[in-house]
Amino acid sequence: MTTVLKSAIVIGTVAKACRLKVPQQTRQILAAQLPASEQMRFKHWNPKFRVLRGKKIIKVELPNFNEDEEAKQLSPDEIRKKLKEKGMLPPRPWQERTMSIGCTGGVFEEYVPPEGDGKVSIVSTTGAKQRLTALEKKGKSMLSVRKIRSYDEEFDVGEFAEQAVEIYKAAHQALTARDKATLHANVTELAYPKMMQNVRHKTVRWQLLKSLEPPRVVHVRHTDILNKENVFAQVTVRLHTQQLLAIYDRFGRLMYGSEVVGKDVLEYVVFEKHLADEYGRWRIHSKVVPDWMPARDPVTRTWRKEPVPPPEEGEAEPEKGDQGAETGEKAAAAAS
Amino acid sequence: MLSARILQRIIATNATWPGGITAAAAILLPSRSPSSVPELGPTRPAGVRAMSFLPPTGPRRWPLYNEQVFPPTGADEAPRPAFVCHVKTNVKYSTKKMWYIASMIRGMSIEEALKQLQFVNKKGAQIVSEALKEAQEMAVRDHNVEFKNNLWVAESFATKGRVLKGLRRHARARPGIVHYRYTHYFVRLEEGAPPEQYYADAPLPPEEMLKRWLEQRRQRTITHSL
Repeated sequence: MTTVLKSAIVIGTVAKACRLKVPQQTRQILAAQLPASEQMRFKHWNPKFRVLRGKKIIKVELPNFNEDEEAKQLSPDEIRKKLKEKGMLPPRPWQERTMSIGCTGGVFEEYVPPEGDGKVSIVSTTGAKQRLTALEKKGKSMLSVRKIRSYDEEFDVGEFAEQAVEIYKAAHQALTARDKATLHANVTELAYPKMMQNVRHKTVRWQLLKSLEPPRVVHVRHTDILNKENVFAQVTVRLHTQQLLAIYDRFGRLMYGSEVVGKDVLEYVVFEKHLADEYGRWRIHSKVVPDWMPARDPVTRTWRKEPVPPPEEGEAEPEKGDQGAETGEKAAAAAS
Repeated sequence: MLSARILQRIIATNATWPGGITAAAAILLPSRSPSSVPELGPTRPAGVRAMSFLPPTGPRRWPLYNEQVFPPTGADEAPRPAFVCHVKTNVKYSTKKMWYIASMIRGMSIEEALKQLQFVNKKGAQIVSEALKEAQEMAVRDHNVEFKNNLWVAESFATKGRVLKGLRRHARARPGIVHYRYTHYFVRLEEGAPPEQYYADAPLPPEEMLKRWLEQRRQRTITHSL
């Protein structure tokens, strides 16, 4: 077999060198035509003593060194079965680490942005109305502002809007530079993995060119976790800015965006602060993305559409759509 | 018909890692540059003494090449082709036997390699096929390769893994050792079309050979001439 394959490789190499097509013969040689010659005989000429010959070798149960990796693909039932076969007890989860809740799990009482925001001119009646609906008219928000002032006397809604832009800038610059310490200081534990996950092994270039409209606080809420004293406050800030975003992949090829063309971005960014904690800071927590917001620019590359399995009888039909394209878009555009 | 030089070249590549000098390595320059690879940490966590019952560590540097991040290429530079490095550790197969299959697919496009491996009647062909398919999936999912067939085998080699020893009896109660061999199989797929010639010293076409010969003759200096 070795001689056969060696000659096959040589024939192939020479054929490539001389730019000849690999002849049919080579494929036939490669195919299962073994054993053919005396040298490739695997059986002993006398089968009478094969059992005894077999007993000469001490059987050894060979270990599978890749068992741990393969186990990751198995279902919990299969793992349990394997452990039973080995006579091993399942591993005990040892949880001695204390947990400290630094942020809430989401956005409570999300802000509902008015439709057509950012598209309507300020001069028109709709635009003027939107501008005039200031925070002072909103009861719940004012209650929350008072709650914040009880912990932080110098909290001012107007000043906070400016601060928010600075925090936003610092967070995104830290993401670009992969500065984890600064990022943790400007972004909550909920938002951190969402931001970091999609920039792994990528180069991000981001710049805030200018603010198209002054930043505005549109929504304030507060809540408590576990105790009544453990208060968290969430402030939604409306940011209408012009930004520059370019994401390069691992090999330095442009994946998304452009370093030359800026884009107008209208966002409702939720900032959170743990008021009960004396070292609490205002940090980016989440974003409110309304349904009427137009979809972002699609990524230039394509993905294969996963075949959707046919729905079983009695079950609702699964959502049809470009699942691959969607995930791809989200993956590429999540950093902005 | 079989040039001795070519045979020698093939045999020479049956050396240790990285498997001899190839066109991919020498002329094209490997995309993976040692300087930008993340550092290898200690073999075992500090405080753990080397003990034989601990699981084998195996090769660790090869997958780290997948974590290199290259700076963005300028407008004047050619775009860098994507690559993905994959290793299948401690596969129950002999390195000597694996060498044949690893050498066979070098410089082939992934489609061609998978096609040819289907007709190789060896256990290693199955192993290499699986490794190629896994690497292809990784490339598309994690390394921004758009078309899964737009890949070629830039590097393919195998090294010795664990070797366990068993006993056997020979005639006249003489002992014998049985080696149960394992191997690590390494493959690097690069994006793009495969090169015309994979090995750097492949014979040139006749026109090229004539051109070079003429150049050499014309470069001669005639000593003590006027």
